Amino acid sequence: MVVKRRIELGLLFSRTGSYSLISEACRSGVLGAIAMVNADPALDLSFVPVERDPGGNADAYGPLCEEILRDTSARHVVGCITSWSRKEVIPTVEKFGGTLWYAVPYEGFEASDHVVYTHACPNQHLLPLLDWVMPTHGRRAYLTGSNYIWGWEMNRLARERITAAGGEVLGDRYLPIGSREVGRMIEELRFARPDFILNSLIGPSSYEFMAAYRALGLEDAHFRPDRCPVLSCNLTECELPALGQAAEGLVAAGPYFRGVPGWPGAGNFGSSHEAAAFSAVMELARLLAGRAGAENWPLSQLLADRGGIVDPDTHHTVLPVIIARVEGGAFRPIKRWEAVPGDPYLTRSRQVQAPTLRVVS
Amino acid sequence: MKRRAIRIPNLGHAQAIILHRPHPTVQALTRQLTAIGLAVTQAWPELGPEALAADYVFFDADMGHDGMFPWEAGHPPIPMIALIGSEAPGRIEWSLKAGAHAQLLKPVGDNGAYSALLIARDAFDAQKALSAEIADLRRRLDERQTVVRAVTLLAARGKSEAEAYAQLRQMAMAWRISFEDAAARIVAAQGGPDDRSQRG
Repeated sequence: MVVKRRIELGLLFSRTGSYSLISEACRSGVLGAIAMVNADPALDLSFVPVERDPGGNADAYGPLCEEILRDTSARHVVGCITSWSRKEVIPTVEKFGGTLWYAVPYEGFEASDHVVYTHACPNQHLLPLLDWVMPTHGRRAYLTGSNYIWGWEMNRLARERITAAGGEVLGDRYLPIGSREVGRMIEELRFARPDFILNSLIGPSSYEFMAAYRALGLEDAHFRPDRCPVLSCNLTECELPALGQAAEGLVAAGPYFRGVPGWPGAGNFGSSHEAAAFSAVMELARLLAGRAGAENWPLSQLLADRGGIVDPDTHHTVLPVIIARVEGGAFRPIKRWEAVPGDPYLTRSRQVQAPTLRVVS
Repeated sequence: MKRRAIRIPNLGHAQAIILHRPHPTVQALTRQLTAIGLAVTQAWPELGPEALAADYVFFDADMGHDGMFPWEAGHPPIPMIALIGSEAPGRIEWSLKAGAHAQLLKPVGDNGAYSALLIARDAFDAQKALSAEIADLRRRLDERQTVVRAVTLLAARGKSEAEAYAQLRQMAMAWRISFEDAAARIVAAQGGPDDRSQRG
């Protein structure tokens, strides 16, 4: 058996607050991978978790990440759920030459030298989902989102894609993170009668919206999921308990759904959040294995000559894309693409450009 | 006035040239641009004719001078982004005169290139659209005298000035040409148009 060197690994997850269910899913993925690495007699390393809990407060992420990088030997941190918190942490990892492993779907348009993105970006979630829904259900959309970069950018991109396809956006409405005031959205939907709804709300806002939308569907058949489904790029199994019956008929895109074989290899995961966090830690272990001292290397050096799942240019990963519908409390896959490389700026995969409209005065 | 919509350029395989001596800033900027999807080349101390095939130029504002560009100073045919290290007023003034559409502060680190590309593209497009609009307005101003003469000619046949003006507008619409071009046609015909030509 090889001698294991102990490597501290930062964990930065909010175990309370409005998105704690996602934090817990990612955290179990990380801890599962750590246990597997530590038990593997062939690997010359073991991970020692160093945890900090920002408690759902975006402003606590930067200082707590700094605490990990300054006060411990950890150079790699797995963590952050919202894009807001990720943007808060990037200056810190840059300052200390550390790396953030980010295991949550996000809105793209970023490729930090100090971040690895192991979950999906829009060409791996939103765009395939829209390409599926428009021929299937129609091209008239209603967009909702939480009031921060994720909701805004997802809806901007959705509008661009839908308009380019000749569709129409009937409305878009945002709620502050944590707000449950979904009444106005439901009233607008009643009149707009779209073909589908894109839900980029997070946490309690999303739970409340889904419950209210289910009630609307019981009242008016147009709003049943088979006629006018709700689409999501961030809801996974880890939030189904909070949604209950309201999740029935929800259509989501992600790299993994419970029980689907393939990615990320070994094991059965509760959700894609757990799977992406697991794969982040396993990939880090693979990059460090057999290279004493590599735990202190900058990310660019670590990625230079060992291949693997991380694109050295963009730091995004190749993932399957699965579209799945909730039926009987579980996601059932309805469409699947294998091995789609992350394309954060949509410069590598987007072939068809929206027509440039001339302004006629 | 309503701002025109921003056009998000397709940056896949776009060409960027970094006009800067070899330096970590060039490396950091190249990394960012490559991640975004652009093809990047570096040039120093001046831009060759290959710049005319590029889509964006990043140029060193600290050591720059007019002779480094293969075009008339201040009239770049593509969007330009200044790489500013020393924020001295003289250097900023020179960058603006060189035609900078956006700037990025040195040392360049982990981010900033994407917004600089979008802002430079938008400023470049806006400048081009405004120049075209100003040229058009200037031409129309120059033709004011022609309009006055055409209205006078039409009014000379017993119409009020307002009626003559309205008639000229109708003619322009019927002929599907600009107001000024219609006026020029009437003046050229001396004595006004043949009224019968408007029938049928």
